[in-house]
Amino acid sequence: MSYCVNCGVELDPSLKQCPLCNAPVINPMELKKQTTVSPFPEHRGQVETVRHKDVAVLLTTFLFSTGAACALLNLLTFKKTLWSLPLIGICAVIWVFAVPLLLYRRIPAWCSILLDGMITGLYLYLLTCLTKSDEWFPGIGLPIVILLTILIEAVTFLYRKFPISFLGSALYFVLATALLCVGIEIILDLYFHSAIQLGWSAVVLTACAIMTVTISTILSKKGCVTQ
Amino acid sequence: MSQPTNKRRRLRPAARQQKEWYKLDLSAIVYPTLQRKDFSSVYRLSVLLKEDIKPGILQQAVHITMERFPTYKTAIRKGLFWRYLEPNLRPGPFVEEDIKNPCMPMPFRANNRYLVRIYYYRNRISLEAHHCLGDGTGGMCVLQTLTATYLRLLGAKITNGGFVLDVREAPHPEELEDAYLRYANAKVCPPRLGEKAYRVRGTKEPFYTLNIIDGIMSVKEVMHVASQYHATITEYLNSVLLYALLQKQQSEWHLKERPVKIAMPVNLRRFFPSRTLRNFITMIYPSIDPRLGDYSFDEIIQHVHNYMRFYINEKFLRGDITTNASTERNPFIRIVPLFIKDFVVRTFYTKIQDKNSSAGLTNMGALKVPEDMKPYIERFDIYMGQPFSSRTNCAIISFEDILTINFASSIIEADVERLFFRKLVEDGIHVKIESNRSEEIINGGK
Repeated sequence: MSYCVNCGVELDPSLKQCPLCNAPVINPMELKKQTTVSPFPEHRGQVETVRHKDVAVLLTTFLFSTGAACALLNLLTFKKTLWSLPLIGICAVIWVFAVPLLLYRRIPAWCSILLDGMITGLYLYLLTCLTKSDEWFPGIGLPIVILLTILIEAVTFLYRKFPISFLGSALYFVLATALLCVGIEIILDLYFHSAIQLGWSAVVLTACAIMTVTISTILSKKGCVTQ
Repeated sequence: MSQPTNKRRRLRPAARQQKEWYKLDLSAIVYPTLQRKDFSSVYRLSVLLKEDIKPGILQQAVHITMERFPTYKTAIRKGLFWRYLEPNLRPGPFVEEDIKNPCMPMPFRANNRYLVRIYYYRNRISLEAHHCLGDGTGGMCVLQTLTATYLRLLGAKITNGGFVLDVREAPHPEELEDAYLRYANAKVCPPRLGEKAYRVRGTKEPFYTLNIIDGIMSVKEVMHVASQYHATITEYLNSVLLYALLQKQQSEWHLKERPVKIAMPVNLRRFFPSRTLRNFITMIYPSIDPRLGDYSFDEIIQHVHNYMRFYINEKFLRGDITTNASTERNPFIRIVPLFIKDFVVRTFYTKIQDKNSSAGLTNMGALKVPEDMKPYIERFDIYMGQPFSSRTNCAIISFEDILTINFASSIIEADVERLFFRKLVEDGIHVKIESNRSEEIINGGK
């Protein structure tokens, strides 16, 4: 039997380190390592995934019938404009957003976000059919959607890769907000004035910078004390 | 089968069969509302036998035993205003090989809608149950009856008694009752004072990880040390946990200190006679406020001793039950649709209730089993599931001269556990440690 030199507790023979203080177990009498079966199994369990199949089927039926009905009405009765396009587009967007949550829960988050970004872009492209000019789509619509998708992907990656406290999450959010505002203003400036001149986003950037510095200070202080 | 008092009937014309359902008890109403993938209202009770488990025989024992516990062989359903339990006629529950991460959340549609899981590993049988079915006492009845049935199938002669119920007899109506309603009759509803407590900080583990550290020691040794402080074992261990939490708070940087509080369930059957196998517990919160000054361990134990004497008595507990029941009895609350109740309860719990305690501690006490079952049993274990916050939960159980303290948490750091066990060692108690923490986790926690 081995005891932890720091904690003074007897350790189960299967333990190679003290789980309380991480001190390695070195028993001079038993230098030849013996393999002992752990009192706990090695196999990790996984919660059975519950697919909300009924809700998914219901939603799909509802959205599909709504889209089809609008398309038929537009084709046969109210033919003047393509009024059904935005409605069909909305149905498609809702479906793409909801189905991974209901049916394919194992789909990676980045993939789901990418699909959401793509369908939103596609929806905006669809809207160009209803507007006089389609210049706004490559000039404003698409860049903003791409920027938003990249930022959401980045925040999700950081949040999943480095799970941290509430303050840490707030830091990610503040940084993403600042980048989004600056990005939107740059896109708008380039589209309308063909030159970058930061205005309102500079105010947001300043506020976010102050918040970032404050949160970072608190986080670093906490880190120092914990160490 | 005799009719339970709170069992109601409804007819399904198509099947023309009598359909039974059970109203959730007063505590059980809350647990399904809180069910999320990062919160588990599941507890685990384990028995370690002296021989390895035979899964086939165990499965037979499960089939025989579950029929005796109708409220444990149920599925949860949603109504317009409340949830309820419905007998589950699907196949199961089936025994499974044990896993490293116990007390995983229990989605209501998974596992053939059963709210219990039964595991085996080497010489251990584990029962995991959702708290909406019943508390630890109810679960222990199921586990001990299951163990006795298993041993009988192997040829042992085990008598009924205590937690071991007769599997051939019908359940007594009192076993299925909501005992809260019987005793919620105080003339006043005492208000509950709540203040934000210190919360243990740490690095959260990925989903469905529960780090376990078991401390195994002698009951006699702990009792001897506790008696030197003129305290009971529960008071002593409560004080040690408060002491550990105080030390942990002092070692960290805080804008302001907060009181250190322990959420501790009290088994109401001790004060209000009932044979119910469903929930019949209430919470008390022994606490120490470091803002009042530095507490020595002797002062903490004295404070906890007085607190227990003051709060754990029939009068106070009756008032507490009445306060709990008043919410459910309120006619305005009764007519609020379930989804609104869910939203309000979840918000209240996450924003207020969960922040009201620094750690959980439950003591199942000294377990008794029939005399002829004793030679087959080594010890018992108990674990509480993963709460919203990253606090650690401590569960205590003893059998014969073995006292087991099971810590379960979903954070990497084991500071509270270390401070707790070091204090026991300082007091001269011999502690043996077992853990499911892998080396990578331990190293990651450095």
